[in-house]
Amino acid sequence: MIELRNVTKRFGLTTLAVRNLSLEIRDQELLVIYGPAGAGKTTTLRLIAGVTKPTTGDILQDDESIVDVAPENRNMAMAFENYALYSHIRVYDNLAFPLRARGLSKQEIDQQVHRIAHMLQIDELLDRRPGFLSGGQRQRVALGRAIIRPASIYLLDEPIGHLDAKLRNRMRGELKAMADEQHSTMALVTTSSREALALGDRIVILRSGVIEQIGTPEEVYRQPQNAFVAAFVGEPPMSFLDTEPIQEEGHLYLRPQGTVLQLPVSPQLAQSLDGDTTRYRLGVRASEITVSSQQDEEHQTPGEVYVVEHLGYCNVVSVKVGDGLLRALVGSNVRPSPKENVWLSLDCDHVHLFHNGKAVFHPSRLRNG
Amino acid sequence: MYQQQKRATPFGVLRYGLVLVVLLWTTFPIAWMIITSFKPADDVMRMPPVFVFKPTFDNYVYAIEKANFALFIRNTVFVAVASTVLVIALGTLAAYSFARYNTGEGHILFFILTTKMFPAIAVVLPYFIIFREIGKTSVGQALAVGLDRPGALIISYTMFNLPFAIWLLVSFFQDISRELEDSARLDGYSRLQVLAKVVFPLATPGIAVTAVFCLIFSWNEFLFAYILTRDAARTITVGVESFFTLRGILWGPVAAAATISVLPMIIFVLLLQRYMVRGLTFGAVRG
Repeated sequence: MIELRNVTKRFGLTTLAVRNLSLEIRDQELLVIYGPAGAGKTTTLRLIAGVTKPTTGDILQDDESIVDVAPENRNMAMAFENYALYSHIRVYDNLAFPLRARGLSKQEIDQQVHRIAHMLQIDELLDRRPGFLSGGQRQRVALGRAIIRPASIYLLDEPIGHLDAKLRNRMRGELKAMADEQHSTMALVTTSSREALALGDRIVILRSGVIEQIGTPEEVYRQPQNAFVAAFVGEPPMSFLDTEPIQEEGHLYLRPQGTVLQLPVSPQLAQSLDGDTTRYRLGVRASEITVSSQQDEEHQTPGEVYVVEHLGYCNVVSVKVGDGLLRALVGSNVRPSPKENVWLSLDCDHVHLFHNGKAVFHPSRLRNG
Repeated sequence: MYQQQKRATPFGVLRYGLVLVVLLWTTFPIAWMIITSFKPADDVMRMPPVFVFKPTFDNYVYAIEKANFALFIRNTVFVAVASTVLVIALGTLAAYSFARYNTGEGHILFFILTTKMFPAIAVVLPYFIIFREIGKTSVGQALAVGLDRPGALIISYTMFNLPFAIWLLVSFFQDISRELEDSARLDGYSRLQVLAKVVFPLATPGIAVTAVFCLIFSWNEFLFAYILTRDAARTITVGVESFFTLRGILWGPVAAAATISVLPMIIFVLLLQRYMVRGLTFGAVRG
């Protein structure tokens, strides 16, 4: 188990890459570190690897501090985001590099190199130098060099981010399978929501060097603790509507900004909102609402189609509601044209509610499963 | 087979005309030197110059036998190689430190550069006096550091080349991504092993270029060699000057001696040219 305790990393006087970070990577766990650019994801990996020293705080492995242990003695493997290939030697030697440090026999090295090369489909490239590979090929060499040997933890910095879509899908599966089969511990950095949700046993969401939420993919997707996590996890991203609460005849309604609509709030929900009358922000996942061309019992909120994105297996319709824009998933055969008037199934009890950026309510279940 | 014939454009003619002029400008003196070295004494100064003559080796024989040029060559090779080895050994380590750890935060690096800012003539007299005094001590005797001793020249050239070498090498080391070293550390190699297996191999082109520059400088240096040596440690450049005799300048032997001194450098540079192209780090990191 690896544990970061109140770790802060400063670069120079002004740059705080990681701020008072406490984090635990359990044995045999695949932890995904997810966040926007500049969140401190790579720094976190580098701190664990020991190639960056924390300014303050402690890093422990199995309850022993490893801050002063040199990287070469930590038995960790890392794939760097910029590949960091040894460009003066062949791909074969790049892959063999960590094995040679361990004094493996020639035969063993040869066997391992070919096993990994086969798995990553770079068999034909073994005699080339890295300069003569494409970006995706280089990334596979970098990944191969990291996972070719047993390590206490594999630190993978966007290991499949630059592969083409097909290969990325396959490698995603391979990585997950490898982690499961070999019971290895992994920390994987990604900027792809889909990758984070698909791979992670747990996901850490970082922003500006601070943890926004740690949880299973299910938790961060269904119960995001704040608007940032909600907006950042899931594809297409959650849409938000700013609303103002309105009290009328003892009932609470929410009015989306720029409209005269009144979305009814059920008494249970109203109770949990504790009568606070400041603004609420509705968070709606595209899968949590449906679109209809006609008004009916379920579809009561009018809106105007803004744009339709085709994803192949389904379409994403962006609908203007007042000043806000809501995205909704529809079947691939449903293609409303822009400016068309449609009706949405917007229901306060089936969406997320945020107050000052903090989540105050999550729907107990998703409407569409 | 269809072959594309390039039309001669006015621009093309001008371009190649210019190239030809520059080429003649730079190669003619060398060609003239080589031609003169094979001329019999009578033809050397003849006007108008003759291009057809009976080649002779007399000038070479004279230069090597009478003027002891073989010793000068030995001296020069020894001094140039020794100082270059010293410069590279010290320079790579210093430059690596500056490039990676920003040692001295730029101040030391700048200070080192400033030592190149005064002309050689300004320090040659102090050097003369320093080496004269050191030469009298037992340490100076033991290390061959003194007037007319090779050690004095080696130290002088090292002092002069080191700042330049460090400045060149720093930029080469800066080009090597830090992640490469981090990666090698994680792969299980110690700091020194990383230097030997990753950093220095990748810096080879830079080191080669620097070595060539240092060697050429040491080989061609005149002022220090002229002031600090007399006979035993005399180098080629000063040796050539010895043909400027009271009886007049012996142009034939001068040309022969000059040809001998230029030749090794030309061969050396041609051999090292392969390493002098940059781009060994090509493909290491995402562009």
